[in-house]
Amino acid sequence: MKDLKHMYYFEQLLENAENDLVREALAEGRKCIGSVCYQVPEVLMELPGVFPVRLRAPHTGSMEIGTYYMTSFLCEYTRALLERAIEGGYQFLDCILAPDGCSMLNRCVENMELLKINEKEDFFYKYLEVPMKADDNALSLYVGQCRTKVLDALQEHFGIDTSDEALRGAVERYNKVCRLINAIGDYRKEENPRITGYEFHIITMCTYVCPKDKLIDKLEETLEEIKTRERDEKPPYRARVEVVGSEIDDVDMIKLIEESGALVVADRFCYGSLPGRHEIVLNDTEDVLTQICRHFMMDSMCPRQMNLDKIEARKKYVHKIAEEYHADGIIFEQMKFCDPWAYERMTASHAMRDDYGIPVLTIDRPYAVGNSGQIRTRVQAFVESLEIKKIQGGKKHE
Amino acid sequence: MKYFGGCDSGSTYTKCVIIDETGKMVANVTLRSRINSVLSAQDALDQAISQVPDLHSAEELTYLVGTGYGRNKVPFADENISEISCHAMGVHVADPSVKAIIDIGGQDVKGIAVDADGTVLNFAMNDKCAAGTGRFFEAMARAFEMELEDFSKLSLQAKNVIPITAQCTVFAESEVISLVGEGKPMDEIAAGIENAVAKRCFVMAKKAGATDQITLTGGCAKNDGLKQAIEKVLHIKCVDLPIDPQLMGALGAAEYARQKGM
Repeated sequence: MKDLKHMYYFEQLLENAENDLVREALAEGRKCIGSVCYQVPEVLMELPGVFPVRLRAPHTGSMEIGTYYMTSFLCEYTRALLERAIEGGYQFLDCILAPDGCSMLNRCVENMELLKINEKEDFFYKYLEVPMKADDNALSLYVGQCRTKVLDALQEHFGIDTSDEALRGAVERYNKVCRLINAIGDYRKEENPRITGYEFHIITMCTYVCPKDKLIDKLEETLEEIKTRERDEKPPYRARVEVVGSEIDDVDMIKLIEESGALVVADRFCYGSLPGRHEIVLNDTEDVLTQICRHFMMDSMCPRQMNLDKIEARKKYVHKIAEEYHADGIIFEQMKFCDPWAYERMTASHAMRDDYGIPVLTIDRPYAVGNSGQIRTRVQAFVESLEIKKIQGGKKHE
Repeated sequence: MKYFGGCDSGSTYTKCVIIDETGKMVANVTLRSRINSVLSAQDALDQAISQVPDLHSAEELTYLVGTGYGRNKVPFADENISEISCHAMGVHVADPSVKAIIDIGGQDVKGIAVDADGTVLNFAMNDKCAAGTGRFFEAMARAFEMELEDFSKLSLQAKNVIPITAQCTVFAESEVISLVGEGKPMDEIAAGIENAVAKRCFVMAKKAGATDQITLTGGCAKNDGLKQAIEKVLHIKCVDLPIDPQLMGALGAAEYARQKGM
């Protein structure tokens, strides 16, 4: 297929955490909020005057200093973020809002605070206690935390309007981006998709790390371009896969999978669109913050939520999108030492094979995969087994 | 007569096999890999082709499949297939009764369960770590100041096994040096090393779901001391292949080439 007109532009936005659009928004006087997890509702940081940037550490090399503070037994994402922070890569931020999504992320941000990695005088950190279950009690806690640690903090430090009306406006802007991403992503359901998993991942990631309003034009143009994009007659892929697992913000990961012969048709991971780019539906009768919190609590597919019905719901969701996007197999990936996904990867991968009969490959991976020969070999062997399965009509799996 | 090639561009050795239309192996070559995998594959192909009077260049092969870590660098290859699939197919061609493989190559160790038609049923492999691989043995033999073959023979002489705790190649080497310094018998240390690797193979075999009819492939399959240790930890007798086990990847690639090119 011919390259998408704005693909190079999108790729460039991911080269550094502080990208051109971030600089542009900062120059307009907006405050930049560093975010590290889905559990702090992104939409709350979309209020007028502020914008969120989900933290990444592109081109990570050695993580020696991060490892010194975090130890080698914690996940590389958190070590890479701390290393980048110490290197001075997050000086553009005005605050960081961190949940106790996992204790590793919490330690990471606490270390940033202890080490005073940001030189701005009014820089502040907030730590949210977020629910591990999804029920009414948990919602009550979640709403309270988001009220005091996010909305009140933004109002107090930056004078941000946090009224229901302002929140409704933020939801509308957030939903607009979600609709665009979903419309683009829907083309992955086609028999011969007119967008690759890599392209979609790049576009989706941009919406996490840039002021969303500054991306709208390019997203709309890209959607229009895709509508009439000419596909290669013969798809260059031999199998369709759904990728499920811990956070992937390394652009090389999806590229590596696709270079090994699999088209990534569904992205069920942090920084992905399922469910990360689901629209928020509001009614007119209830407090807006409660509705937002309910959306993020109920829609979350994070394995840190441990009530049985959520565990079962996650498996069903993985299966549902595998069917919806016509995936031949599922790749469960886990960043090494990510505790929630270590457990989930093991149990869910067995369930997918045994209960749903879907071929599964499980891999653990570093934060930056680079050109990993081992992962490439595994994925290619998996693709070959999927190909044979399709020919034979039988069931094979790793 | 049509001829089909398989070139296994491994990290330590490059292997090439040519088979004819009937699947009979008519040429095979094993060469130490150079730093440039393209040149290694070219050398192996040239030497294999020189063994077949009807062939004069790689372009005359009806179909050529590349495999191994340098699989996408094999010159003139029509396709590349992962070494996991190729080892399974190669072993199936050599002995269809085999149901599982422990492949110990230069930089990885894999457990592969093989289906009745030679395709992969399941697999498991090591991560970014040289523990239990050919490189590990090379480092250990170097510490013993002997060739790999002599190291293997030495381990077979041991009456007892001295456990080696470190799996990391670097730390295992220093542990071995310490044990030698303490005056421990060299054969028992060597047996301990073989045993440590055998346990790692056990894990890969079990992860892949291997139960019986297991064989060894890759360069380390020629290490009798390791084979004996694996048989001991797995409580089974490994199947001896009628063809050089180091050639299984290349043979499987050639067989895939035959299936695709016929």
